[in-house]
Amino acid sequence: MTLKSLAVAFGLATTALSATPVLAQYPERPVQIVIPYGPGGATDLSARALASALSSHSSEPFVLVNRTGAGGATGSAAVANAQGDGYTVLAARVGSHTVNPAMKANLPYKLEDFRFVGVYEINPVVCAVAADSDIQSMDDLIAKAKQDPAAVRYSTSGVGSMLQIAAAMVLDSFGVENVKEVTHLPLAGDGEAALAVYQGTATFICTNSSPLASFVKNGQLRPILVTTSEPVEGFDAPTAASLGHEDLESLVGWTGIAGPDDMPDEAAEQWRSWLAEAVKDETFLKFMKQVGSQVDLMSPDESLEFVNNQYQTFSRLVDELGLRVE
Amino acid sequence: MSLMDQIGMGFALVAQWQSVGYLILGVTIGVIAGAIPGMSAVMAVALTLPFTFSLQPIFGILLLLGVYKGGVFGGSIPAILIKTPGTPASSATTIDGYPLAEKGQAGKALDMALYASCIADLVSNLALILFAGWLASFALQFGPPEFFTLILFSLTIIAGVSGDSLLKGCISAILGLFLATVGLDLVYGTDRFIFGSPDLMGGLNFIAVLIGLFAIPEIFAYVRQPKEIDGDVRKLGHVHLTFAEFRRSLKSILRGSFIGVILGAIPGIGAAPAAFVSYSEARRNSPNRANFGKGEIEGVAAAESGNNGVAGATLIPLLALGVPGDVTTAIIIGAFMIHGLQPGPMMFATNGDMIYAIFIGLVLSSAILLLVGGAAIRGFRYIADVPRYVLLPSVLVLSVYGVFAVNNSVFDVAVMFAVGALGYAMLLLRIPAAPFVIAFILGPLLENNFRQSLLMSQGSLDILARGPITWFFWGLTVLAIVLIVRQTMQASRERADLATLSPSPSGAPTAGRAAE
Repeated sequence: MTLKSLAVAFGLATTALSATPVLAQYPERPVQIVIPYGPGGATDLSARALASALSSHSSEPFVLVNRTGAGGATGSAAVANAQGDGYTVLAARVGSHTVNPAMKANLPYKLEDFRFVGVYEINPVVCAVAADSDIQSMDDLIAKAKQDPAAVRYSTSGVGSMLQIAAAMVLDSFGVENVKEVTHLPLAGDGEAALAVYQGTATFICTNSSPLASFVKNGQLRPILVTTSEPVEGFDAPTAASLGHEDLESLVGWTGIAGPDDMPDEAAEQWRSWLAEAVKDETFLKFMKQVGSQVDLMSPDESLEFVNNQYQTFSRLVDELGLRVE
Repeated sequence: MSLMDQIGMGFALVAQWQSVGYLILGVTIGVIAGAIPGMSAVMAVALTLPFTFSLQPIFGILLLLGVYKGGVFGGSIPAILIKTPGTPASSATTIDGYPLAEKGQAGKALDMALYASCIADLVSNLALILFAGWLASFALQFGPPEFFTLILFSLTIIAGVSGDSLLKGCISAILGLFLATVGLDLVYGTDRFIFGSPDLMGGLNFIAVLIGLFAIPEIFAYVRQPKEIDGDVRKLGHVHLTFAEFRRSLKSILRGSFIGVILGAIPGIGAAPAAFVSYSEARRNSPNRANFGKGEIEGVAAAESGNNGVAGATLIPLLALGVPGDVTTAIIIGAFMIHGLQPGPMMFATNGDMIYAIFIGLVLSSAILLLVGGAAIRGFRYIADVPRYVLLPSVLVLSVYGVFAVNNSVFDVAVMFAVGALGYAMLLLRIPAAPFVIAFILGPLLENNFRQSLLMSQGSLDILARGPITWFFWGLTVLAIVLIVRQTMQASRERADLATLSPSPSGAPTAGRAAE
């Protein structure tokens, strides 16, 4: 019966129809959530807020573990290779699961190594320049990039980061032909990258709204584009769609929970209901709103489709622009 | 609302028993977390953050600031007692702190660490309150070229912590630089020395390297020769700091505080380089130069004032500009924003009472650190009396546990033992460990800033001398090198003179040499 239900689940690639749980007791011991980025980062804060919202719904505690390194690859590889018992899950992030796989040829894991139980937050991507810069709009920026690509610099949090692909995708969408000639300035984190634009070290940055929020509120950075279809509160900038670039709407940050590919149905099912509870939690919603995220729970199928679509978009772009890292 | 009103309201915010209570709680958590090897101040702050969401804004922020300040000091306790820096920033403290503990003067070293920390903390807080705007705009002029020259200058301190042989110091530094290259390169994302292992992709864990380098060699040494060290029974660690020693070190403490303030205000440097620069400057200027590294109380004072001087100053870019200067302040900015507060120039107008409440709370925190730290020292100093056959195995267990806890990774524990073996070999060859640590911290910064500068200038080296700040550090670097060359030549001449006078070997320090 176990085999059969597994086979059904596998065949349909869904947990929506999963059979009655065999062992009704998950979790029997603490569940480890691996965060592939450092303490205090967007993924870390998001996962910690999630875990504290979940704590009242689980009989067992959640153990949050930061396994940092290599742009999220070290922690992701650790979960991909972990035992598929449902007691080790990953706070998967745009950087570790769509950008890295699209850009790095020799990554020690693939998307298929994971079972997604749900993407629960979406972060808009915002492009910004320094407030005292003479660039007022995307048109100004693109004109500059076309005229002298090497003199335009975009700051990122490293090779294979979401920031790098975001800037490249925006430039490409707006018709800059030699995107590779625009100077890429990798820094140690997205905070430093935003600071570099404010200092004038870099010309522009495209990243999630949260590291930029403080700079924009203080009038230090000027947002010139948001990629979501709706305008983002606090960021007075046109949406990509309003400028005729609907293709940029797939460029968003996200966080989700994923287990190793052999994670049992029962655990995946439990996680689904946990996530459904968490996205109703007042404190959690308030926190996510403060850091500029939109809480939006996707079902496992939707999550997988969403992640795959983004991965394919990024892969195509990486191939076109020759950004792959060997 | 006038300034006095705002200060008055700020005072009212702090003058609640809860404010003081949360500050005390924070400092206590911080000191304990800092004292546990493997728990850094950053981790303690990150773990405390979720608990502040439900608190009133001022309580939550004071709690976090308390944790941060306590954590920076707490690291010095194991650094002195068991040669295991509790936080990276306290690795400079081990250089003289541990030899003092070896001589049975742990109590004295801990006292000095506490006083130096509190004074530097106070100086740092006052600098924040009085010069925040000015220091912040200075700090913002630091781009990659300025960083590069600053770090190049900082590398000259390797000479100051090399002990007797500059050559051995350089060997140690080169080993550190080499191990720091492991992992993905920042600029092109190329794999370096990872041998296909995902664990190595992220580079060697800093805490694992640190503990491996300092604590593990002591244990290896004891396992091989337990008798030799056991014969020299450690005295009870109850020797207190005398006022004369304090006064002698005061200059170094103040110098360290200022170094900490300047380096702390610049985003992205952190407390460890400040501690080393302060230590090296103190050594250069001290009449007891020869005793540094062998248990010089002034060395402890310099290292601790350097790293605590950073603590208040990192808040300068945060409060003056709303810019987080390091990971800790990035977490603290999150605590502000969850309560709808926006740090930055506007906050003085919109939430002035809050700013002044933080200022008052910070000054108060220096005093609380003195009390809580004093109590912690009284509790912890008995560790110095524990016999080595009990202490060292405990240190080993604690080190394994601490290193594992950073990343929940057995691989990191393996790294710790591998570096421990290297550290033991270095100990046998009398190669000092401090230059290794400095190079390991500064090497990647040097490389990245150099390459970032060249990316900015599209390959032209002119950018490395683009303004007054770069010229200043180039000048300092040249000056430091000239001084090092002169001192080295002088020392070798003295050694030659000595050799002609007496046939006994000199130079290498004997382990049990008493302090004056």
